[in-house]
Amino acid sequence: MEMSGLNLSSSVLMTIGTVMVIYFVLIACFGGIFSRFSKDVNDFFFSGQRFAWWLGAASMIATGIGSYSYLKYSQQGLETGLSSAMTYTNDWFIVPFFMFGWLPIIYFARIRSIPEYFARRFNNTARYIALLIIMAYMFFYIGYNLFTIGIALEGLLGIPMLYTVPVATLILGGYVTFGGQTAVIFTDLAQGIMLYIAGGIAIGAGIVALGGFGEWWSWLPVSHRLPFVHLFNDYKFNTAGLYWGEALAGSIAFTFMNQGFIMRYLALKSVNEGRKAAVFNVLFTLPFSAIIVGAVGWIAKSLVVKQAAMGGVLEGINPIHIANHFHTFIVVAWECLHHNAIVFGFVIAALTAALMSTVDTLINACAAIGIYDIYKPLLKPKASDRHYLIAARWVSALTALIGLCLVFFFVNLKGSLMSIHYKGIMVIIPSIVTTIFLGAFWRRFNAKAACVSMVVGSVFTVLTIFWPTFIDPLAWLVLGKDMLSQKYIYMRALFGMSITAFVGITVTWLTAADPMEKSEGLTICTLGIAKQKYKGDKNVNEAVGKKVRRLVVELDENFAENIVSLSESVMSRMKANVGDIVYVEDSRWWLGGLRSVHTHAGAVHNLGDDKIVMSKSTYKNGMFLDNRLITIEKIF
Amino acid sequence: MEKTSNNKVLIPIMAILILAFIYIFPRIILNNFDAGNPWACYLYQYGFGFVTFMIGLLLIFKTGAVKLGRGRDTFWFGWLIAGFLIFAVGHIVWILLALHMPVKG
Repeated sequence: MEMSGLNLSSSVLMTIGTVMVIYFVLIACFGGIFSRFSKDVNDFFFSGQRFAWWLGAASMIATGIGSYSYLKYSQQGLETGLSSAMTYTNDWFIVPFFMFGWLPIIYFARIRSIPEYFARRFNNTARYIALLIIMAYMFFYIGYNLFTIGIALEGLLGIPMLYTVPVATLILGGYVTFGGQTAVIFTDLAQGIMLYIAGGIAIGAGIVALGGFGEWWSWLPVSHRLPFVHLFNDYKFNTAGLYWGEALAGSIAFTFMNQGFIMRYLALKSVNEGRKAAVFNVLFTLPFSAIIVGAVGWIAKSLVVKQAAMGGVLEGINPIHIANHFHTFIVVAWECLHHNAIVFGFVIAALTAALMSTVDTLINACAAIGIYDIYKPLLKPKASDRHYLIAARWVSALTALIGLCLVFFFVNLKGSLMSIHYKGIMVIIPSIVTTIFLGAFWRRFNAKAACVSMVVGSVFTVLTIFWPTFIDPLAWLVLGKDMLSQKYIYMRALFGMSITAFVGITVTWLTAADPMEKSEGLTICTLGIAKQKYKGDKNVNEAVGKKVRRLVVELDENFAENIVSLSESVMSRMKANVGDIVYVEDSRWWLGGLRSVHTHAGAVHNLGDDKIVMSKSTYKNGMFLDNRLITIEKIF
Repeated sequence: MEKTSNNKVLIPIMAILILAFIYIFPRIILNNFDAGNPWACYLYQYGFGFVTFMIGLLLIFKTGAVKLGRGRDTFWFGWLIAGFLIFAVGHIVWILLALHMPVKG
């Protein structure tokens, strides 16, 4: 693998390095500010289910884009054009399952981790099988992200991965370990903005170098303008394979079982906010991110074509030669920015930010699983909350360390970045994705079936690495053509899902059903019960009311905890009844719910329409500030 | 009880229909288009995608996860349909622009 993408002078390297170090330090400090908002283990992982949708959605930008995204999609953009955006624009088909199925299930059941869902829905055996698969998925992503940033830094700075990756891991481990989920969400918000700005700079510079948007489009060959690639001719990137492997298996994995994304949704104040975040993410964030990570590759193709047509040189820019396609982003950005080390350093810092924001989420997610699925149930079942918070920080540090060790495993793997990524993911996810799906949407699906299908599905999927001909019949069925290529990446996921589903359905039919009460609130057909359990009351108030703003807090020492009192008029505007769950927040919308609390509406008062009465402990739980106005809304 | 027996008939029929669709649909596409034609790819993704999407809608309606008129369900159901149309129409426009705008390269 060629490592050296640019031949930079030591002074330029020094400038780029300085910009990056400043960036790292600023981000670590920024994350540190929010560590004080993690007052217990629930806050550490889920930020107390209190944030606004836009904060979750914005932090998902940075979570969804890894350092590998820039390298991988710029390369794909150069080779196949705008079709590199396919993986970001084919997710809508599974949105109904998520918005109305999985999201309310995990939110109302207060699921802390996917293995915990397996324990409650099935049994502990299913939990630990799921845990193994999910941890493999998470650690794969952490190691892969660290590995790709190592490649980028090695190519750019000439410093071996051995030195750069541990430093990056140390900084990441630092703010996740001490900050927790609140720090992760806020640093991701900052890094998401940074990432878009930096990507925009690189794209803008490329468009200017080409002579404008019209020039870029007109020099792009038709094959590179299209949103789809050939149906099946290239096993590494084809429309049919991407539909089955990426749009179905990959998208379900990312939205249903990626603990990092799940925790983003669980940090939001309500299911309604989760739906807003989900729609915004799939409809706007993903397509826009596809442009940010792939556009430099599309520009590179136009530049190369125009350059060849113009006799090898374009006015105002050095000739572009991309010897190693992994370095497309770095080479094109460097040339189009006219070797400006400070701006380029900022762009590279954003690339590094992409790594940090993906890995910090994954580290925090692994720690959540470590605490809720291993440490608490198996090692220390009845410790104090403070004990779990400290343990969570140790687990975060340990996770970062394991991720670092995995980098050395990736160094020894052969093949392109794209193939390493999908080859791994398409083997790990099929069985668990299918089991989650069957568990959530089919109440009859039982614990025996879940355990057997996960094991058999995983084993058969792994076997196809050695005997890919197992996949041939299925590929023939869905492609409508006898491929027999014996080289499958995405079709492996379809095979794994099919085997898992077949085994799961067969075992379910052949074995007795689990007691019905076991699955109450954990399947789509028992969502009504889930809502009642969440509220702690059989009366669920679905009427849509309005938010009431600019209320003044009146503290009452004798008032019960977890109840607020409002005037009749405020209750009427919210369409709330006594006992309904209400969400109280600082009126400054831009805090996104950082200072807020869920509580219940109590008996009405006659102190005036602008007053909200609560106890001191409720006030403290919301982390409210004196002399600040309050906004309130009914949840249900 | 009646609902369960209805499902016992409906689910196998649906499974057979879906399997038949999976077999027939790509063959129809390949009989009418070259596999490199962008419309073949579009039809493949949105044909299978539509079926997946419809299964999702059927499931959420049948289980009562969505009830039009309840809370904000109608609003979100509207967004589900709108989102599908935005992507489907967006990809059509994209293909047309790619095929019909002048090329220098």
